[in-house]
Amino acid sequence: MKRRTFVKLAGASALAGGLSAPSIAQGVATVRWWYHYDNPQNTPAALVAKFEQANPGIKIQAEAIPWGGGTDYINRMFSSVVAGNQPDCAMVRLAYLSRFSQMRALEPLDGHLANWAGRSDISDDVWKLNRAPDGKQYYMPLHYVVIYLYYRQDLFQQAGLQPPKTFDEFLACAKALTKDGMFGYGMRGGGGCHDNWGPFVLGGGASFEKGGMVSAKALAANRFFVEFATKHKVVPPSAPTDAFRQIVDGFKAGRTAMTIHHIGSSAEMVAALGDKASAVPLPRGPGGGGWTYFGDESNAIFASSKVKEAAFRWISFLSGAGNVEQAQLSGQLPITTSGGRNWTGHPKRFVDASFASLPIAQTLPDHVKTPDFVGRVLPTNLQRALVGETNPDEVMKAVEQLFHG
Amino acid sequence: MTQATARPLTPYGFLLPALLVTATVILYPVAQTIVFSLQDYLLYAPDDARFVGARNFLAVLKDEVFWISLRHSAVWVGGIVFAQLALGLVAALLLNQSFWWRGLARALVIIPWALPSVIIGLMWTWIFDFNTGVLNDVLMRIGIIDQPQAWLAGPRSALACVMLALVWQGFPFFAIMILAGLQTVPKELYEAAEIDGASAFRQFVHVTAPAIAGIVATAVLLRIIWVANSLDVILVMTGGGPGYATHTLPLYAFLRAYSGMEFGYAAALALMLTVLLLAIVWLYVRRQAKELDA
Repeated sequence: MKRRTFVKLAGASALAGGLSAPSIAQGVATVRWWYHYDNPQNTPAALVAKFEQANPGIKIQAEAIPWGGGTDYINRMFSSVVAGNQPDCAMVRLAYLSRFSQMRALEPLDGHLANWAGRSDISDDVWKLNRAPDGKQYYMPLHYVVIYLYYRQDLFQQAGLQPPKTFDEFLACAKALTKDGMFGYGMRGGGGCHDNWGPFVLGGGASFEKGGMVSAKALAANRFFVEFATKHKVVPPSAPTDAFRQIVDGFKAGRTAMTIHHIGSSAEMVAALGDKASAVPLPRGPGGGGWTYFGDESNAIFASSKVKEAAFRWISFLSGAGNVEQAQLSGQLPITTSGGRNWTGHPKRFVDASFASLPIAQTLPDHVKTPDFVGRVLPTNLQRALVGETNPDEVMKAVEQLFHG
Repeated sequence: MTQATARPLTPYGFLLPALLVTATVILYPVAQTIVFSLQDYLLYAPDDARFVGARNFLAVLKDEVFWISLRHSAVWVGGIVFAQLALGLVAALLLNQSFWWRGLARALVIIPWALPSVIIGLMWTWIFDFNTGVLNDVLMRIGIIDQPQAWLAGPRSALACVMLALVWQGFPFFAIMILAGLQTVPKELYEAAEIDGASAFRQFVHVTAPAIAGIVATAVLLRIIWVANSLDVILVMTGGGPGYATHTLPLYAFLRAYSGMEFGYAAALALMLTVLLLAIVWLYVRRQAKELDA
């Protein structure tokens, strides 16, 4: 995915939320919407008020659902679907689409989208990326992040180092900066570890295709990643269970010189470290290949909703007129081309690092097993390898087994 | 219906609401769990579920993680209940003494019990934190360790750390229960023992211990069941990791149910735990019945 695909389209989406939306039957339609923001103190109340003022027949009941590394959110989502207590619409990710499809839980949006003027302000590539295997469009793109490398500019300068462009350079930098109680790389081995593991292992030649996790190249790439902890000791000893909070706090506290996350944490990095914190795309593998996680976020309407028209009007507002404000609340990047062009929600160096990472950005496979890969199989097996309980190759065998039996 | 025929039915009428609630919130879910355990039920494909007989149970018995989790569950229950009982007993004996701030002490001791498990999990996670945790700071200041330890990331220390958090949370329950028992012991018994020349230790063994034995047995039974089923603190502190280091049976069942959405397999795991717990309850009831007969 290229930067221009996100910025090439100028659009009229700022006006799109209120235009061409289907009429709402008389009376007040209440739309239950589930959302999550990285910063739980952020609230969409002002956004909701703005929407309700423009749409007097619709009331939005916004419910914050804990993210919990993704596992909490998705657990509640699927449980609610089975229990028949799902909201009318909710923030969703592509990795859930297969399961939703199997449950026939979502409402196709194609009919609504055909008449929605804001559609052209979202790149065609994003629409393609969000399309279901059956050719229908169930997801309304909302905002996105791309995982990149945070690094300490000041420490790199002091050590005479350049931000790493290859895996070998990354290891050399991590080794050079591991000293005096500081660790070169704040690895995430706890919840959400796929976004640290992926760049080195998928970027190093592994794939989710059959046999793709157990090829010689894939096994070598995984060994290289695990050895950051077991052989080179360039990660904190707590890395096997460190999750989002620990890696961000470790970097902010000056305990790590590099860490891997997205633009959503840049505000607190800058608040703690100022200009010392910067970011670049993740390094490339031996063959020049690279991989980073494209953190998509969309809205979807549940098939069970009794207020689908009102729900569409709300989610189209969030992806149109309200998209910039919504992205500010989520700490992510707006999905609209017009919003991205004038975006000032983050310091430029982090936006640039996000855009520069797009050529290697990919989503996780749209497969019913993907949530189990993220929530259980990868963390448990990777942690065992990181603490030296098992051979690193066992991680890859477990992932291969999960997806291909 | 005459008054004479209605009277024998009256107790059943009073019991009926409780029985209905129990049937709705306990018996029905248990029955549903049994049905799930006999199917290859996937939450995201409920229409494709089919009857597989005992296959889930056989798969559980061949599952390495089940045996690891079972072993951890035994350590978890035994270690926590024993430590909570010991601490609770000491706390109760202290709180049964006369001192001027006893009322305040009795109120303070209940605080860990009153806190939500998630708060306790988060609190102890930060106490044990590698970078900013107070435990590392204190131990380094007093010279016990010379560099910070990753308590929750160590496969040998993680389970003990999570157990410590739960011991801290649960000991007030024993303290309050035992304290209530201590206050029912007639003072005359202690006076008589003292006149007979019994030391404080012998008074405890021959007067206090028999008087609180029934309460302790009941409290131990309840705690075994609660601790065996508890997973919230583990989930918050380690999520079961590193690897399987803090996996217990209910946590493993939870992960298979909600991460893998394998409700059939998870139901089989949960039923295995239920059977083990029922065995403990049965042993206890049999022991109590014998005591009543004696």
